[in-house]
Amino acid sequence: MLVLSRRIGESVVIGGGSPEAVTITVLEVRGDVVRIGIDAPRSVAVHRAELLAELADANADAASPPDTAVASLSEALRSRP
Amino acid sequence: MDLPVIELAHPMPGFPDDARFALVRLDDDGVLHGFRSLDSQDLQFVVVPPAPFYPDYALDLDDETATELGIDESSADEVLVLLVVRAGATLADTTVNLRAPLVVNPVTRRASQVILDDADLPLAAPLVA
Repeated sequence: MLVLSRRIGESVVIGGGSPEAVTITVLEVRGDVVRIGIDAPRSVAVHRAELLAELADANADAASPPDTAVASLSEALRSRP
Repeated sequence: MDLPVIELAHPMPGFPDDARFALVRLDDDGVLHGFRSLDSQDLQFVVVPPAPFYPDYALDLDDETATELGIDESSADEVLVLLVVRAGATLADTTVNLRAPLVVNPVTRRASQVILDDADLPLAAPLVA
């Protein structure tokens, strides 16, 4: 991992020189909270890491239910008023 | 609706190696569908359309996703939105993911699990209230 120190208002550029470059700027530091601005092309998805981890967990929980669970879900939906 | 081969624009988080899926009907009512991996044996997600469960569910698709899935004016009406179901022991325990629906363009057969910006949408909402 590359570790850099930056001051408020300073940036790092990832993929510099290319039109796909991503610029990350430190906007504010208050206690243990750092606000950062991310300037990325639309083709680069930006997500909080914990949301992606939660989604991976949710997908893993949902993946490949046993046939019996699918059958009883189907039955329960059919008999729903 | 059944679709034999769907290609994901991005892998679903947690399943980086699965890019091709098939959509198959699992019940006679056409509600429950299987989103079945063609790259891994036995990997399947149960998915449902939102309408029977969350009639007001609507999403704003960002331009980038629309481009990736080849959604244009001619295919916009055909785009499928599917919610990933986590089948619980009972119907009351069964949840759906409202935060990250699968969006499928049946015309181009391309799909993506789109993470919506709205933090109020739960990853696990009850399928039926």
